[in-house]
Amino acid sequence: MKEQVYINKTSEVYDAIVIGSGISGGWAAKEFCERGHKTLMIERGGVVEHRKDYIGENTPMWAQEHRGRVENILVDQQHNIQKQCYAFGNTTKHFFGNDRDLPYTTKAGTEFSWIRGNMLGGKSLLWHRQTYRLGEYDFNANKLDGHGNDWPIRTKDIEKWYSHVEIHAGISGSYENLPNLPDSEFLPPFEMTAPEKDIQAKFAKLYPDRPMIMGRTAHLTKPTALHVSQGRVQCQARNECHAGCSYGAYFSTQSSTLPAAAKTGNLHIAPNSVVHSLIYDQVTNRVKGVRIIDNDDLSEREYFAKVVFVCASTIGSTQILMNSVSKKFPNGLANSSGVLGHYLMDHNYNSRTSGDIEGYEDEYYSGRRPSGIIIPNFYYKADPKRGFLRGYALGGSAYREGWDAQQHQDGLGVEYKNKIKQAGKWRFGLSAQGEMLPRFENQMRLHPTLKDKWGIPQIEFDVRYSENEKAMMDDATEQSIKMLTDIGLKNVSGESTHRPPGIAIHEIGTARMGRDPKTSVLNAFNQSHDIPNLFVTDGASFCSSAVQNPSLTFMALTARAVDFAVKELAAKRI
Amino acid sequence: MKNFKTSTNHAVNEPDSTTGKEEKSRRRFLKGLTTMFGGAAIGSMLTGNAISVAMAYVPSNNDILTDGKIFKKAQLMLLKQICAIVIPKTETLGAAEVDTHGFIDNQLFHCHTKPQQEKAHEVLNLINQAAEKYFSTLFIKLSDDQQFQLLTELDLGEKRFDQTQRKSFKALKQFICFGYYTSEVGATQELRYDPVPGGFKGSISYEASESSWATRGLFN
Repeated sequence: MKEQVYINKTSEVYDAIVIGSGISGGWAAKEFCERGHKTLMIERGGVVEHRKDYIGENTPMWAQEHRGRVENILVDQQHNIQKQCYAFGNTTKHFFGNDRDLPYTTKAGTEFSWIRGNMLGGKSLLWHRQTYRLGEYDFNANKLDGHGNDWPIRTKDIEKWYSHVEIHAGISGSYENLPNLPDSEFLPPFEMTAPEKDIQAKFAKLYPDRPMIMGRTAHLTKPTALHVSQGRVQCQARNECHAGCSYGAYFSTQSSTLPAAAKTGNLHIAPNSVVHSLIYDQVTNRVKGVRIIDNDDLSEREYFAKVVFVCASTIGSTQILMNSVSKKFPNGLANSSGVLGHYLMDHNYNSRTSGDIEGYEDEYYSGRRPSGIIIPNFYYKADPKRGFLRGYALGGSAYREGWDAQQHQDGLGVEYKNKIKQAGKWRFGLSAQGEMLPRFENQMRLHPTLKDKWGIPQIEFDVRYSENEKAMMDDATEQSIKMLTDIGLKNVSGESTHRPPGIAIHEIGTARMGRDPKTSVLNAFNQSHDIPNLFVTDGASFCSSAVQNPSLTFMALTARAVDFAVKELAAKRI
Repeated sequence: MKNFKTSTNHAVNEPDSTTGKEEKSRRRFLKGLTTMFGGAAIGSMLTGNAISVAMAYVPSNNDILTDGKIFKKAQLMLLKQICAIVIPKTETLGAAEVDTHGFIDNQLFHCHTKPQQEKAHEVLNLINQAAEKYFSTLFIKLSDDQQFQLLTELDLGEKRFDQTQRKSFKALKQFICFGYYTSEVGATQELRYDPVPGGFKGSISYEASESSWATRGLFN
C-alpha cells in the first residue's frame, strides 16, 4: 500500500471516520470509499501489510522456535488469556493482544475470556472463517419467546446485502434450500471425505430433519474474475490461515476490503491510534470526531468527520461509547436507553462427542481442509417439551489418526515406529455451537477505578451461562452420542464441558438494535437513536446470538448501514 | 548457546540446509506465488520480515554430549539411549540421530513448567535406579536386550514397575515422539509433509505401510 495512506496528524474533516479495521471496519471503509467519501480508518494497533507481515507463514515446524509452541515466560507475562485460543501459537502470537498491556477484570464468581487482535485487520486475520446467513427463524426468535427485544429487521431487509458482501468476499458452500439456514452466493464447497459422505447418507435416512452439509467458509475454492482482480487466488488447503495467507485465499481486511478501499484514493489510515472517546457537540447533537491516545508515546490528538462508524469490536465499541461522557449523556454516549453494555452474549461450545469409524482402510485425503461438516440447528422451531429455549448446530469432521494420536499406544522400537508411521483408524466427532439467550444481567461496565496504560477505564465483565445454556449443552451431548451410535460408530463418548463465556470469540450484544429508543441503542440501520451521525455496525448491535457464526452478518449490516448513511448524508439529514 | 543459529536469514534463503523434499516444497510455494503475483510481490516475504528462525532448535552434532539446559551430560546420554530404543534407526534416522534428546532438554527449559521438568528428571532417575537395583550398573551399560526388556516392562507398567511409573514413562515417550515427528527427518522422511497441498481432495487411495501426514494434530 502507498505510504501516504497512513497518516498521523491531520486537520482534515473527513466524510467518515471508521473506528476499527477488522471485518466490520474493513467493510465500512470499503463501502464509503467506493461511494466517493473521504474516509479515515482508525486502528489502535500497528500496521500489518498483506504478505509482508505474515511473518509466521509457511514455516515448517522444525524451523519454528520451539516447534510452534510459545516460550513459557512470554505466555505467563504477556499471553495468559490469549493462550486459551486454539489459534494461539508461535506463528500467530504477534497477531494476538498483549494481556499485560490490556488488562480487564471480571466480577467475583464469574469468568470471561476476552480474546483480542489489536492490529490492522483485527480479528479478520485470526477468525475461523465459517460464514452463515441468519434466517427468518433467527430474526423472529426473540419476539417469539420474549427473551431479548425483537430484531428490527427481517430477512427481506438484509438478504441483498448478504449477497453484496458474499460476492466480494467469496464464500464456499453448497446450495441446500434449508428452511433454517438460508443459502449464500456460493463458490463450490470443499469436498467431503469418503466416510463423511457415507455418514451424511446415514443421517439423511435416520435423521431426515438433521441434514449434514459441508461447512460454509470464506475461502476461495474457485476464485471468480473479481477475486483474481483483487489479487486473490485459490485456497491451497494449507490450513495455516491464522498466520496470514499470501494467496489471499481467505477473506480478511488485508486480502479483500482494504485493497478495494485503498484503490479509490479516498482512504487514509491512522494506525497506533487508541480511541479514548468520541467528541460530542450538544448544540448540534452530533458526534464531531474522536479523541486519540497514541499507542506508543501516549500523546493525544483528534480526528474529525461528518459521520462516525464505530466498528471496534463488540466490547471495544461499547467501551468507547461508555467512556464518552457528557452532561447530556452521563452514563455513556447514545445511552439514553440505559441498555448500553447489557445483553452481552457469546456462543456456547461446551459439548463434544466422538467415535471410531470402522473400515475405510484404503481411503485417505490430501490437503488440510480449513473447514468441516455442519448439521445446522435442528431445534429452530420452539418446543416446550424440550426443556430449554433455542438450539445449537453440530460441527465436526472425519479424519484418520496420525502420529499425534498413535504415539500413546504401547510399544517400543521398530515395530512401534512402523505402526506410528502409518495412517491410523478413522475418527468422527461432533461439537455443539449453542445459542446464548440475551439477558440484561450479562453485562460489561467500566471499572470505577482501574485504568489501562492509555488512561482508559478497564472493562469489568459480569457474564454467566444460564441454566438454559447448560441444559442445551447436556442435550447436545446426549443427542450427539445417540446419533453417532445410531450410525454405527464404535467407542462413542461425549462430554459437556464448562468453559466460561468469551472463548467462542463470538461476543455480541451490548449496544443492541431495536425499534424502541427506550430499550435499544441503535435503530434498524445501526444508527444511534440518540445521535443521527453515529453508527455501530459490529457485533455490539446484535439482538440475539442465533446459532450461526456472526461475522457474515457483521459484513452485511455494515454495508447496509453505509448505504443508509450515504443517503442520509446526501439528504443532509446527518 | 551452541544450539542456536546466529544467522537471521529465513530458512528459505539457505537452500544448502534443506533436504531435496523441502526444497521442492519451498520452490512450489514460491513458484506458485510468483506465477500468481509476479516476482516483486513476493520479494518482501523473503527479506527481513519472515519470522526469525534464528531461535529454532538446531540439532547438534550428536557425538559429543555436554551439559544441557536442564539435563546434565550423563542424563542426556541416558535420554539419547532411550530415544534410540523408542524410535530406532530404520530406513530413516531414529530419534537419537536427530538429536531428540537435545531438543527435549531445550523444549523443557523454554516451554514447560518446573514441575514438568522435575518429572522428566524423575523418570530418568527411575530408569537408572532400576538398572542399578536389578543389574547393579547404569542403564547405558546394560546389553541391548536388557535395555529393551526393562523399558518394555516400564512401558506396560508390569513386573518391576507399576502404573504410576508407566504413566511417567508415557509422558517421556510423548516428548520423544513430538521431538522426532516434528523434526525435519521425522516430518519429511518418516512421515509425509506437504507445505502447499494445492487444494483439498476428500478421497485418495491409501495402502498400509504408506506414511501418514506429518501435520496431523498440528495443522490437521
